[in-house]
Amino acid sequence: MPQVVVIVFKSTHDVIKAKSELEKACIAHELIPTPKEISSECGMSLRVEKPLLSRALELFQSTGVRYRDDLL
Amino acid sequence: MIYFDNAATSFPKPKAVIEAMEDYFFNIGGSTGRSGHRMAVKASELVFNTREQLAQLFKIKDSSRIVFTKNATESLNLAINGFLEKGDQVATTSMEHNSVMRPLRYLEQRGQIKIFTVQANREGLVDPEAFADILKKEKIKLVVVNHASNVTGSIAPIDIIAEIVHRYGSHMLVDAAQTAGAYPVDVASDNIDMLAFTGHKSLLGPQGTGGLYVREGIELSPIIRGGTGSNSEKEIQPDFLPDQFESGTLNIIGIAGLGAGVKYVLEQGVSNIRQEELKLTEMFIKEAGKIEGVELCGPSDMNKRVSVISFNISRYAPSTVAYLLDKHFDIACRSGLHCAPSAHATMGTHPQGTVRFAFGCFNNAAEIEKGLTALAEISLKEEY
Repeated sequence: MPQVVVIVFKSTHDVIKAKSELEKACIAHELIPTPKEISSECGMSLRVEKPLLSRALELFQSTGVRYRDDLL
Repeated sequence: MIYFDNAATSFPKPKAVIEAMEDYFFNIGGSTGRSGHRMAVKASELVFNTREQLAQLFKIKDSSRIVFTKNATESLNLAINGFLEKGDQVATTSMEHNSVMRPLRYLEQRGQIKIFTVQANREGLVDPEAFADILKKEKIKLVVVNHASNVTGSIAPIDIIAEIVHRYGSHMLVDAAQTAGAYPVDVASDNIDMLAFTGHKSLLGPQGTGGLYVREGIELSPIIRGGTGSNSEKEIQPDFLPDQFESGTLNIIGIAGLGAGVKYVLEQGVSNIRQEELKLTEMFIKEAGKIEGVELCGPSDMNKRVSVISFNISRYAPSTVAYLLDKHFDIACRSGLHCAPSAHATMGTHPQGTVRFAFGCFNNAAEIEKGLTALAEISLKEEY
């Protein structure tokens, strides 16, 4: 089973935008509550398989989704 | 009942608006941004989708620059109080609603700002060059302009004014309470820095919804601070939009209805809605002008007005006309000063005010006919 990466976002707006962009690009992902060990954020994060991470991040950069680079 | 009070709030609403609100309460529930369960995700998606639709409508590239508020008044208060600082100067027009004038006058009374006013002509139209005259001489931080008057329906040429405003390094706040959904608004080509709108008029959403668009680079101070679901480890307000200005739980059911209203407007097309409302307005003005005793206010050029029409009938107080229309003709309208005393002073109808008919996208020619017949009857009768 490939390793998974959790991506934390700046705001709920960005999580939902990220989800919508990933769906449009057919990149598999799962929305999860932000794990405590990553951040004390009370919102949601996205989990993607590690091989898909670079594609996901490229997509976020091109569509202006604000993710927390510092928490990757 | 015939409803001609669409400038106060639109009625009826598209069925889809009520269905979207029902769907939220019956099937979605959940709050946005706080929890991660599926109900919360659905609620967050709903809010996101409404923001995206508004962005599409106003040609806003990044929908996170739209902040939800409870109405245009709150949006204007946020823009005015959040942007202005002690010592700043503001230019505005004589056609503004009290939602602009009261926050401005409050700051003026406290000695914090100075206000310069561009006087509109008796039709309620402002000359863009009058802004240049002020901006040439004074350092103005913000120019506030009512896109269309809620009294005369007169439209301000915001794109031309904005061009002048930016030429002098100032900023442009537009009050789109009477135009959002009824007249095209394009924040990019109109060069708008901040756009205040309400959800319950021509966007056909429920009361308690509205928003403020804030262009990137405009620094605003929040008027409310609190929980946003983001940066929760910090006791300092986030500095990014929309969270910076959306503390506390949003009016999600209202935003659900607003989203459906905006979708309806996008499907119909603002230009088509504009054309239909203009036809009714033209028809009314042409015929009402022939009725003895009826005095119409506002621009004679139809292209310079939205479907808001003020008038008086000689021998009658505006409130009497509104009462008679309601009691004897089943017509709902508004009389008085319409929260815009300076607009009435501009037209010469202060302090008695006017009767106001405001047509919406669900009015039709048969209703306009009935309205005209009612006015003719009232005007001809010796006494009611």
